[in-house]
Amino acid sequence: MHPLFKHWRRFLLYLAAWIELGFILGLVAPASGNVGRLEAIAIMVPMMLLLGFVCLAPYYVCRSIPLRAVAWRSLLQHHLVGTVLAAAGVILVGKLLASALSSVWPGLDQLFAHATPVLTVFVALTFMLSTALHYAYLEIESSRRAESLAREAQLKALKAQINPHFLFNSLNSISALTSLDPARAREMCIGLADFLRASLRLGERDTVPFSEELALTNMYLGVEQARFGKRLRLVRDIDPACNTCEIPALLIQPLVENAVKHGIAMMAEGGEIVISGRRDRDQVRFSVANPFDPEAPVQDRNGIGLRNVRARLEARYGSAAKMQIDATERHYQVTLTFPNKTL
Amino acid sequence: MKTLRAIIADDEELARRILREYLSGEADIDIVEECPNGFEAVKAVNDLKPDLLFLDIQMPKLDGFEVLELIDSSVAVVFVTAYDQYAMRAFDAAAVDYLLKPFTAERFRASLDRVRTRFASAAPPAALPRDLKLASRAPGEYLERLVVKDGPRVHVIAASKLDFAEAQDDYVSLRSEGKTWLKQQTISGLESALDPRRFIRVHRGYLVNMERIARVEPNTKDTWLAILRDGTRIPMSRAGYSRFRELAGTV
Repeated sequence: MHPLFKHWRRFLLYLAAWIELGFILGLVAPASGNVGRLEAIAIMVPMMLLLGFVCLAPYYVCRSIPLRAVAWRSLLQHHLVGTVLAAAGVILVGKLLASALSSVWPGLDQLFAHATPVLTVFVALTFMLSTALHYAYLEIESSRRAESLAREAQLKALKAQINPHFLFNSLNSISALTSLDPARAREMCIGLADFLRASLRLGERDTVPFSEELALTNMYLGVEQARFGKRLRLVRDIDPACNTCEIPALLIQPLVENAVKHGIAMMAEGGEIVISGRRDRDQVRFSVANPFDPEAPVQDRNGIGLRNVRARLEARYGSAAKMQIDATERHYQVTLTFPNKTL
Repeated sequence: MKTLRAIIADDEELARRILREYLSGEADIDIVEECPNGFEAVKAVNDLKPDLLFLDIQMPKLDGFEVLELIDSSVAVVFVTAYDQYAMRAFDAAAVDYLLKPFTAERFRASLDRVRTRFASAAPPAALPRDLKLASRAPGEYLERLVVKDGPRVHVIAASKLDFAEAQDDYVSLRSEGKTWLKQQTISGLESALDPRRFIRVHRGYLVNMERIARVEPNTKDTWLAILRDGTRIPMSRAGYSRFRELAGTV
C-alpha cells in the first residue's frame, strides 16, 4: 500500500494540493487562448485530481524495479511506457470531459484539442517527476531500514554470545578441561575470547570482506568443535576468489550457528556441515548445509536468525539478492546469492 | 552408608567428564552408566534401576523432561543444564536439585548433600503422580509431542498426529496414524498438557483433535456423535457439544 494511504489526513492534504493546482491552471489558461476561466477550471480541476491519483502509481512500479537491481536501459523502457500510458489516460479523460461540457460551453472540445500538446507534455513531465520522487523516497526508506536492521543484527549477535546455549556450555567445557587438559582449556578460552572480540568489531561495520566474515565463522566453529568433538564434522568448499568480495557483516555466522544448534546438537551421532562458496562474474553464491533429526525434541526455534539474514540481504541488495531454503526430510540447506562486488 | 548408584545423561562428553571428576572423590557414589542421549537414558534407568540420575535438558532424541516422564519416579534426579528458565519446572517435577553449568565443586557437593538427605530419611520418597510431571510447564506452553513407552523402546507421537485419546482406568489410549498406544496417565492430565485450542474434551472419556472432526451429528436427545475424518464415531456429551460449538465458533 502507498504510504500516503496510511494517514488519511495527509492524503486529503495531498489531494487538496492537486485541486489547488487545477484552479491555478484554470486561472492562467485564459492568458494563452480565448477560453473562459470557469470552463478552464471545470476541466483542469478534475484532470489534476485524476493526475494526483495517477502520480501515486510509480510507487508500485519503482518498488518492483529497484534502481540498482535492473539495467538502466530496461528501467528507462518501463518508465517510458508508464509515462505514455499515464499521459494518454489523463488526456483522454480530459477530452471526454471537454466534449461532455461542450453542450454547456459550445466549442470547448475544439479549444481542448488545441491545448492537448501542451497539456500532454505537462502531464508527462509531472508523472516523470513523481517517478523520480518515489525513487528518492524508496532510497531513503531502504537506507533507514538497512541501518536499523544492521543495528538489530549487532544486538542479536551480542545476545547470541551471552545465550546459555553457547556461552554457558562453552564455559562448562572449559571448566571440564582445566583439570583434564589445561593446555586445551587455555586454547578454548582464547578461542572464545577471539570470537567475542571479532564479532563486536564486525558488528560495528556495515559490510566486510568475505574473508573476515569467514574467519569469524571459523572462530565460532572452533569453540563448538571443542564442545561437540567428533559429532561436529566440517567440510569447507570455498572458492578462494570469494575472499575479497563484499558481504554484510554477521551474515554467515548466524547461518552456521543455526546449523549447529538445530542440526548437529540434536543428533546423537552428530553430522557433517558443508559450507561452500562460489564467485563468478555477476554474483556470489554461498551455502550452509546440515543434516537434522526430524524427530528431535521441540526446541524454541524462533527463526529470528534466518529472518534477519533475509531482511538484511533484501535491504542491501533488493531483488538482486536472494535467500533460498531447501529442506528435505533430513537435510537442510540455506543458500545466499548476492551481487559480486569487491571491497 | 549405602552406596548410591548413579547414571549421567548428557550429550556433551566434556560435560559428562566434569561430573565424573567431581564424583571421583565421593566414595559412596558409584557411576554405573553414562548416556549421550535421551533414549539411552530411559533405557539405562529402566535396566539398571539407579538411585540417582544427573540429567541434562537439551539432548538429542528426548529432552530431559521427556526422560523424566518415562522413568520410575523413585529415582532422585539432579538436573544439570545451562538454561536457568527451566528451574521452576524442574522443581515442580520434584527434581532434587538444579545445577547451572558451569558449577563449582562446592556447589556440586551441596547438591550431593541434598541427595544423601533424601536417601537418609526413613520413608522412601513418595512416588510422584505422573500427571504432576506433565503439569509442570509454564502457563501458555503446551506439549508438542507425547512420549510413550513401547516395551523397552520409546515412541514419540507429535501432537499434530494424535487423532484422539480415550480414558481407560489408569491409562489413556492414544490413537495416531492408525495405531493405538497406551500411556499411563489420566485423560484430565493429558487434557491440561495439550493446547486447548487444538484438543477438545468432547466427553468424560474422550479428548479429540479438533482438526480431525469432519462433522457432528445428533445422536440421542442429549448426546451427539463426532464423526472423524477416518470415520471413527466418538460420543459427545451435552457439555462436550457446547465446548465444541464454542471452539468452532472462535476459529
